[in-house]
Amino acid sequence: MAMLRKFDFWTLVMIGTWGILLLLLFIPVGSVLLSSFFDTSGNATIENYLRFFAEPRFQRAFINTLVVGFGGLAGALLLGSIMAFCISRFQIKGSRFVSLLAILALVSPPFIGAYSWIVLFGAGGVVRAWLRDFGIMMPPIYGVGGILVVFALKFYPFVYLMVSGALSNVNRSLEEAAEGLGLTPLQRTFKISFPMVFPALTAGGLLALIQSIADFGTPRLLGRGYNVLATEAYTLYSAEVGSNMSMATTISVVLIAVSMVFVLLQRFMSRRNVYHGNMINKPAKIKLKGWRNVLAHFAVYFIGLCGAMPVIISVIYSLRRTNGPVFQDGFALQSYERILFNLGDVVRNSLTFSASAVVMIVIVGTIVGVLVARRTTLNTSLLDGAFMIPYVMPGIVIGIAYIAAFNTGPLVLTGTASIIVLSIFIRRLPYTVRTTSSALRQISPSLEEAAISLGYSPFQAFLRITVPLIVPGIIAGGMLSFVTAINELSSSLVLYVGSTITMPVRIYLLILDGDFGTAAAMSTILLVLSGIAVYIAFRLMGRNEQALL
Amino acid sequence: MAYLTVQDGVKQFTGFRALNGVSIAVERGEFFTLLGPSGCGKTTLLRAIAGFNDLTSGSITLDGQDLRAIPPHKRDIGMVFQDYAVFPHLSVFDNVAFGLKPRKVPAEQIKTRVAEALSAVHLQALAERLPAAMSGGQQQRIGLARAMVINPRLLLMDEPLSNLDAKLRIELREEIRDIQKRVDIATIYVTHDQEEALAISDRICVMSAGHIEQIGTPQEIYGNPQTLFVANFVGTLNTLAEGEGRAKLLAELGISANAAHWTIRPERLSLLEAGQGAPSGAVALAGTISKFTYLGREAHVLVDTPAGALVVQVSNPALSAVRNPGDTVSVLVERSALMAFDADSKRLSLEG
Repeated sequence: MAMLRKFDFWTLVMIGTWGILLLLLFIPVGSVLLSSFFDTSGNATIENYLRFFAEPRFQRAFINTLVVGFGGLAGALLLGSIMAFCISRFQIKGSRFVSLLAILALVSPPFIGAYSWIVLFGAGGVVRAWLRDFGIMMPPIYGVGGILVVFALKFYPFVYLMVSGALSNVNRSLEEAAEGLGLTPLQRTFKISFPMVFPALTAGGLLALIQSIADFGTPRLLGRGYNVLATEAYTLYSAEVGSNMSMATTISVVLIAVSMVFVLLQRFMSRRNVYHGNMINKPAKIKLKGWRNVLAHFAVYFIGLCGAMPVIISVIYSLRRTNGPVFQDGFALQSYERILFNLGDVVRNSLTFSASAVVMIVIVGTIVGVLVARRTTLNTSLLDGAFMIPYVMPGIVIGIAYIAAFNTGPLVLTGTASIIVLSIFIRRLPYTVRTTSSALRQISPSLEEAAISLGYSPFQAFLRITVPLIVPGIIAGGMLSFVTAINELSSSLVLYVGSTITMPVRIYLLILDGDFGTAAAMSTILLVLSGIAVYIAFRLMGRNEQALL
Repeated sequence: MAYLTVQDGVKQFTGFRALNGVSIAVERGEFFTLLGPSGCGKTTLLRAIAGFNDLTSGSITLDGQDLRAIPPHKRDIGMVFQDYAVFPHLSVFDNVAFGLKPRKVPAEQIKTRVAEALSAVHLQALAERLPAAMSGGQQQRIGLARAMVINPRLLLMDEPLSNLDAKLRIELREEIRDIQKRVDIATIYVTHDQEEALAISDRICVMSAGHIEQIGTPQEIYGNPQTLFVANFVGTLNTLAEGEGRAKLLAELGISANAAHWTIRPERLSLLEAGQGAPSGAVALAGTISKFTYLGREAHVLVDTPAGALVVQVSNPALSAVRNPGDTVSVLVERSALMAFDADSKRLSLEG
């Protein structure tokens, strides 16, 4: 009888999970796919794909996407590896502060970066103007170069956090053994250390690549005619005249396919290279002397400060005195006052949407995580695989997919707050499922069995023993989900209506309107909220920077 | 009918059969040990009694009650785990009190009973501490107190000492035995350590490959093994090499029985002093020493004889007792020390 009840509960969870995936993932993605095979008048066709590959506009966007993707990847790899190597192998003064700068870069929305770099190096940029006084003419930052700079500085923390973790786990004996065998330091680095951190390098690189491909705000603000697939999809979707949904969905399908290919490629590349770290005999940090020491410190601080520059600029500009959208000399709290009096509902929207998404993520993610960890069957493996899909979905595609699925038909959600909450929910759910199931696999099943033998029903045993043990990790994961949720721009930009506007969308619109004072103040508020969430997470699970990935 | 019985227990996993028709009967207050190598089914049997893995077929009764019909949390069976399974987020006191709460024991009684249980395992001073930083021995003591305090109908222990170091293992097994005798509770103990099983048990059940080889007192298991597996697994064993040497030895001892395996325990062999003759009922076997291993309280001498290489155990070896490889010696083989097994590895009796 008890066995039967237990069986029923988990079967229910299984059905519920597939139901959620069907409604929030398969139907939207299916709608996108379906829509891409129909023309605007509703006839089945592959015309859209032919057009995609024939029209120079789309060909260019496709190539541009690959250029910014690989450019962002290369930049992030370069900056991230330098920083990881210096911090994990050399004694750097204030290395914790530098790590904090990397976290700041990670939790700030990328389009803020774009605008801050415009402030410094744009047509009327502060630094450019200053250099012009010395007679140095510098091209403005617009175009592909600017996009790549922003991507490199925004996404290097992925590589840095992944690789520094791997580097500090390489067993020192291995390098000593290589030294004993007569390899030069350079040979050691390339033949021993490099292969050991290669999986971490590709994993961090993959994150940078996928984010670069998916990013919408940066090319939109900085590109000035340099269009990528994400911006083209948005343009086609949002054009007031001649909006072309089927072409927008076609581009979305291509975007998903491109991301998917890179995920599979990364898995293929690092399939055999799984090295287990060691807890003993960790590499010692070398104390550099002379110019090498200066160079290492300079590199680390330069990368860290440049990456955090948008945050610094936002905070400073949020405090500048303004007259309308025009900055004046001196400091004032006008921008914050404007938010307080005019834009309070935007902050409230962001907070309620993110909080409700996170509550749902935590509850559903935990239950599904338990299912995946405790019942290893073909079904749960499939479930685990299905949760990979949201991982490769660019936000703009999720937005378009949700419009395609929920604009008409049995369930109409467009224009509601729920559609924004659900889009955030499905994108972040996989992370919680993963973290919960891996946390559960660390807990010995005999703990629950002990409680059962002492007279607690299996469900009570789970509630009283397992739950208290995984709750800190779950709350920490929830806090990190909150950071992602509250910074989400691209899907909300597609899904918002006047009453459901969120902070990132408002910041984006403010920047387009040229009201950077208010945008900076709102960014600062966003940053403070993210900072609080990260702080709580780190308090609960220790300073585990890799959990941010 | 015995207190706990398992009748024709079968457990079929996909691909292999972990238990193949196992029957045991345990009396009230008895210390009953399941002994065998890993994969023999001993833990599967224990977990079936606990209710964590139900049998595929067969019956389990406790005090006349059908246990398989009762969910595990209502069986009232205490369990001690190999990895201690101490709840890391609860204090030592709360760990031990954990099982009393669902039994609706009043708070006052919980206090006194937990205090008693903790003092029985010498942990009363650590009651308010969290167990995370404690040693393995202390954690297992918590596990023991936690299982005992609920006054279970049956106590199950799944290799509770195998993660501890050798000295602590001996110390704690004595304590377990003393406590078990004092509270007089039927206990089923799983181990792969034959010395531990001999030291602690009232009766031992030796298992291999999902079936029972022999059930008996420690003396019966060690001194009178019924199968070659039991003789080999419990204690050490010399097997006489088949051939002329063995035939000659058996003939000299006046044994005519026809057996597939002839074995003898090292401690039943001895080395003859020079010039000493073999007493009646025994034969001196000439041989050459090939290895001498000194172990303190005993020494093992490996001797090459016509009947194969034999280990002779010399107890309490004197300082001057060192033997060198290459020395010739005589090994004294007593007739009563030989154990014979047939081709199915079953013990043959050597009457007459």
